[in-house]
Amino acid sequence: MTPRHALHPLLLAMWLALLMMGATPLRAAPTPLVVEAALDREVVAPLLEAFRAAHPEIRLTFRDRSTLEVDALVAEADPAPDVVISSAMPWQMARVNQGYARRLDSPAARRWPAWAKWRDEVFGFTFEPIVMAYRLDLSRHMAPPQTHADLHRLLTTEQDMLEGKVTAYSPLKSGVGYTLYQQDARYTPRFWDLVAGMGRVDAQLEGSTRAMLEGLSEGRYWLGYNLLGSYAMIWAQQHPEVIVQVPKDYSLVMMRMAFIHRDAPHPAAAEAFVDYLLGREGQRVLAGQTPLFSVRPDIVGPYTAARLRDQVGERLFPIPLNASLLAFVDPQRRAAFLERWRREFRRQD
Amino acid sequence: MIEVAGSLKRRLAVWLLVTVTGLGALLMIEARVSSQRAAERAYDSQLEAAALTIAEAVQWQQGEPLIEVPAAALQILATRHQERVFYAVLDADGEAVSANLPFAIEPSWRERAAAEPLALTARLDGEAWRLYGREVDSAGWVSQEPVQVWVGHTRAGRMALAGELFERTLTRFVAMVLLAGVLMALALRVALGPMRRLRRVLRRRDADDMRPLDARVPEEMRELAQTLDHLFARQRQSREALLRFTADASHQLKTPLAGLQSVSELALKSEDPADWQAALTTVHEGAGRTSRLAGQLLSLARLRHLGEADEIAPLDLAALLRETLLEWAGREAARDHDLGLAEPPAGPVWVRAEGWAIRELLGNLIDNALRYTPPGSVITLGLERLGGLEVLKGLEGGDPDRERVDEVALFVEDDGPGVPVEARERLLQPFERGGRQDTDGSGLGLSIVDSIAHRLGGRLTLAAREPHGLVVRLHLPLCDPKEAP
Repeated sequence: MTPRHALHPLLLAMWLALLMMGATPLRAAPTPLVVEAALDREVVAPLLEAFRAAHPEIRLTFRDRSTLEVDALVAEADPAPDVVISSAMPWQMARVNQGYARRLDSPAARRWPAWAKWRDEVFGFTFEPIVMAYRLDLSRHMAPPQTHADLHRLLTTEQDMLEGKVTAYSPLKSGVGYTLYQQDARYTPRFWDLVAGMGRVDAQLEGSTRAMLEGLSEGRYWLGYNLLGSYAMIWAQQHPEVIVQVPKDYSLVMMRMAFIHRDAPHPAAAEAFVDYLLGREGQRVLAGQTPLFSVRPDIVGPYTAARLRDQVGERLFPIPLNASLLAFVDPQRRAAFLERWRREFRRQD
Repeated sequence: MIEVAGSLKRRLAVWLLVTVTGLGALLMIEARVSSQRAAERAYDSQLEAAALTIAEAVQWQQGEPLIEVPAAALQILATRHQERVFYAVLDADGEAVSANLPFAIEPSWRERAAAEPLALTARLDGEAWRLYGREVDSAGWVSQEPVQVWVGHTRAGRMALAGELFERTLTRFVAMVLLAGVLMALALRVALGPMRRLRRVLRRRDADDMRPLDARVPEEMRELAQTLDHLFARQRQSREALLRFTADASHQLKTPLAGLQSVSELALKSEDPADWQAALTTVHEGAGRTSRLAGQLLSLARLRHLGEADEIAPLDLAALLRETLLEWAGREAARDHDLGLAEPPAGPVWVRAEGWAIRELLGNLIDNALRYTPPGSVITLGLERLGGLEVLKGLEGGDPDRERVDEVALFVEDDGPGVPVEARERLLQPFERGGRQDTDGSGLGLSIVDSIAHRLGGRLTLAAREPHGLVVRLHLPLCDPKEAP
């Protein structure tokens, strides 16, 4: 898409010839496509570039927002976005259940693994482990945590040293953080001891993984809990003072969920985009050039679910993509959970 | 003439097809309905399970119902068909305490669900949903008001299950029909076996084999076999009658011919012209008799083997009778007898008959009367109108109406010696002379008369005349005078 200052005479002649034959000019008005996403533009840039190259007839507009903003836009935006991508899985699921999604019937969609899709309407197209991250400073004073139990012990034994140095998601401000805590609480009631421990060290609650990573690099924080592995791994490559630890007892895995909006103004372009996301090409870019991890088992690259499993073992616990997610967005349940969170966070014992 | 009208196999196949189609349509409707019902039942029980799971989680806090929707309930609701799911917990006023979709539960539904758990299908949000509601009694410290739990999901799984069940029933039915068809064809083959056997038996028979059938047949074919047997018996009888007739005829012809031969032999041996003269006279008379006999045989054979009467037309019997009588009265043979006509009914008497046949019949009767009565006997011909013979109107038995057809009796009576009762029936047989060997009659006359009567559809009766003598009557139906020319 380099700007062309002067048309080559030969090209001009061909263009004129085409015009005279009544054919549409080669550069027909491109179809616009609006993607509302809770997905960092820098992380996903290679994928967007690849898509633009593969589909020059589509003019892609990619808007990066927070999960809660994206969720609100699904119902309120006019015109509706064509494609909605978000890591706030329960909210995405709720929107699909409300009938906001359009079914995608394509070979790639049919071949997509059943555990990573729902009703052929919404697809989990990434496979991102949830990790802990710590600053090198921490390892000079104590053994860095490798499991949730380690973390809990550190929060108890090194309470003074870690005061104000621990960071985690705010369940109130971040949909992803809330989802992760819900899922953690599902596995063990000892999770609440962990919350109480974080409360005791006065953990700082952030709204995004990026904010936590910045805090770690700046030295404000020593230890971060429940960070998106995709972002943390890239960050750690550029910031050697930050170490990423995939928990050795269990590691949650989050998926970005994408669906085509029911009222998409450009359904064909939207289908082409989601199909590209799920297709071999898009997944290869995901696996090779982004840390989002490809779901497809037939893709080879540094960032694939298969490779992650090889490295981490069978400790990966993807958040199940099914109707049980809907319970997380139930207002009463959410209120009760947040209430308990606050109670445990302030627990003094 | 044999006309082939359809085939048994095809007729059976058509019947089978019609029955199977009709029955099959009903069966399919039933299967469709019942498979849908089965699918509804199966999935309704999942709705019930989900509703119970949610009801279990209802708790009271500060006088307000509090519900933490269990994730498992939602998974039960979604089923493996990944339905869209709906749940709502309503307080006693119908206000949603908790709901994931803004569906309005109608007050009438709530009233019914208050009585007993209720499942219903409704169209919400442009899609068909199955909803299930039940009331839950739940006591708290402050409030004891009941709450209602409503759950629902879309119907893709139900449709899929119903379709699957229906398809299975359909497959079974089609297989059954095909099997029944094959069995039917086999059964037909077996059932038609006796028919084929009978056909083979008939085909193997010699042309002149008139013995009763020797075949094993099922009950249904007994009548056919018996009819065939009767036919064979009748043919046998008629053939035997023919043979007897031929033998009798040959015998009858042989006697006068032998007489001729012996007379002519004697005459040839004689030198006397007077003997020749006498022999020639005898030969002449014998030849005349033989010729008459041959003529009678010929006419009897012709009558018996003549085809359908095709020249039958209305004719005036009275005129014909008069004419015939006049002709006979003038003959030499009637010279010694008193041949007369009884008072005929006024006007013409129309019957459907052939003129030559009536003439032949009358001639035979008059000839017989002349021949078998002593000279001087009185022979009277006449006609009687007999009103009221009841016959069935139609040929088929269905019509109960009887039609009255007038008939006429043509009679020839004499005051001769008469015929004993026991001999009368036999008189109609050829070459039967009623025990009289004293005349030169051939014994064929009444046979010919009987044949003609049959041919004209009439009835011949022989009766005694008081004080002595014989009356021969021919009853013929009168025809409508309007048909007369």
